[in-house]
Amino acid sequence: MKITFPHMGNMYVPIKVLLDTAGIQYVMPPLNTKETMELGVVNSPEFACMPFKTILGDLIYGLRNGADFILFGGGSGQCRFGYYGDLLSEIIKNLDYDVKFVCLETTNITIKGVLEKISPLTKGKSRTDLIKGILYAARTVFLVDALTRLAGYTRCRELHKGDTDRIISKFQSSVQEVYGYKAIINVIKSTRKKLRGIPVDRKKKTLKVAIVGEIYAASHPGINFEVEKKLGNMGVEVHNHLSVSKWIFNHFIRNNLPFKTKDRFVVAGREFINTDDIGGHGIQTVGASIMCAKRKYDGVIQVYPFTCMPEIIAQSVLVEVQKKYGIPIMTLIIDEMTGEEGCMTRLEAFVDMIEMRKSKSLEFTQSGYETVAKNL
Amino acid sequence: MVTIGIPKGMFFYEYGSIWEDFFENLGFKVVVSKDTNRTIMDYGLKCCSNETCLPVKAFHGHMLSLKDTVDYVFIPRYHSTRKNEYTCPKICGLPDMAAVNLGGRLRILEAKINMDSQVKETKESIIRMARTLKIEPSKVLSEFNRVWKKHLDTKMDQAENKKSSKSRSGKKDAILLLGHPYVIYDEYLSMRLIKKLNNRYIDVFTPKDIDYETKRHNAFPYQGKTFWDIGFDLLGSAFTCAEDERVKGIVYLTPFACGLDAFIMEFIELQIKARNRNIPLLKLTVDEHTGEAGFDTRIEAFIDMIG
Repeated sequence: MKITFPHMGNMYVPIKVLLDTAGIQYVMPPLNTKETMELGVVNSPEFACMPFKTILGDLIYGLRNGADFILFGGGSGQCRFGYYGDLLSEIIKNLDYDVKFVCLETTNITIKGVLEKISPLTKGKSRTDLIKGILYAARTVFLVDALTRLAGYTRCRELHKGDTDRIISKFQSSVQEVYGYKAIINVIKSTRKKLRGIPVDRKKKTLKVAIVGEIYAASHPGINFEVEKKLGNMGVEVHNHLSVSKWIFNHFIRNNLPFKTKDRFVVAGREFINTDDIGGHGIQTVGASIMCAKRKYDGVIQVYPFTCMPEIIAQSVLVEVQKKYGIPIMTLIIDEMTGEEGCMTRLEAFVDMIEMRKSKSLEFTQSGYETVAKNL
Repeated sequence: MVTIGIPKGMFFYEYGSIWEDFFENLGFKVVVSKDTNRTIMDYGLKCCSNETCLPVKAFHGHMLSLKDTVDYVFIPRYHSTRKNEYTCPKICGLPDMAAVNLGGRLRILEAKINMDSQVKETKESIIRMARTLKIEPSKVLSEFNRVWKKHLDTKMDQAENKKSSKSRSGKKDAILLLGHPYVIYDEYLSMRLIKKLNNRYIDVFTPKDIDYETKRHNAFPYQGKTFWDIGFDLLGSAFTCAEDERVKGIVYLTPFACGLDAFIMEFIELQIKARNRNIPLLKLTVDEHTGEAGFDTRIEAFIDMIG
């Protein structure tokens, strides 16, 4: 049995660790290519959201290249993510691939049930390897996210433009070539060392921008035109509030703690949204924007795929956040038709705007901003 | 006397009557906004962001049209309507969206309806509403329980009588019209689609005409799992009618970029294809720019095709 999986940001590194350690064969779709996206777009409904299309594209690529097993985790609640598993399996069944599609329900999840469902994969493999793989993968998630954050720090401060990008692209290719946990950890460690060795201007006053929005669009460089990298190269320090490690922490660790703590973004978002859940990351988007405004960020960029329902609500609310907290917020809506150049132009304009705003006297910008806000 | 306004959009087509009943019994004056028209639509377009879907824009228009005549505008927040049946995020976030988009021009009264996991929340929010209106919470709660029960009862048996009356009407062909209730029953948004079809001597079945249990039962293979109430309804109706010989075609009316419909429509299409029933499916997408003439042409072509 050969498994295939969709990409999401840097998730392929921990997944690779897991599958390598457990000794499961797999097909990994190429990272960020137009072909896989085209495959997805052709076979999905027109108004399905972008993550659905890219995920479908990746899976079809995997199936065409010899995979015959798909494991997919569905969500619950109000976002369309809950339907993903069913619709994906339906579409793939219609394309006549010989494949076993296993959909894990995240509601009422039990360890025994999961093991039963993935038994064709793990047959003949040792259980300890599987458990080891899961633990290793969990550790890798956090290491990779830390690496991305470090790259974000150096990119906007580097003295020679392009140093960080070169190291990161080297990392991406070499991590795909090596096999096993130890080798991957070594690649991560050497990359970290190289990143730390980049000559940077530590005193540089950078602009601080936060990325909020839908988690897939915000954290998958393949569909958001590497917005983090672009901003970094314009000399902006980017803080992405949606990382996979945070998501894992929230869903698997925080929810299983004996005492209940609330996500601080949700608590902050309650100021404008009078309920705990509107599906997806809608409330977190609002909350994160408010928190960023309070922490004196220079701007917020909301990224979401076209037709994403929770984020549309958040977008309306963000207009009010802008007015109340005086922080510029730009919304970037992405679908397969979005052109990279147009996106680039908007980002440049936004960065220019917040730069000017920062350099002008506070009094002027406030009055200037209010007229803009009134016209919105 | 305190006047409560109920906008004629979104939830109104399914729950309007129970809320009217609810507030009238509690001794308030209830004002329902007029049918959707150009003015109301224009109000709505002005205060919503572009990405918002057509029915939500229309709903905002209805709210604004009530602004001078009422003390409160009532917007229920439907989180889940039954076990495992959730609603579209936009219905759930409607009061927040309204509060922001209308920027304090209106006083909003909200009640959270969460019948799946946290019935407690529903109770709390009803009590909060009672405090805002300065009336006895226990009275409001018992009133709520009464109307909700009434709602469930009517949902169960309204369909029975209707379908039998339709089959007696003598017209030979029938079309199944699918879509969200607030699109297909709103004459402005649907451009009087039901009337237009009736004028061509065609019976129109809508999800309302099929009884509840049959729908739920036929929504297979997503039974017990589907979490959008509307998705359940539509899947069930489509598969029920796919078995019915009189139904010659399905028309799916959807507002532009509706997130739910994108998925539900695909399920219906794939499933009907898989069952080898040759039933044509017309997808009609509407938004505020849709011209009626082009819309009519497509319907006429579809009717000619099914003969």
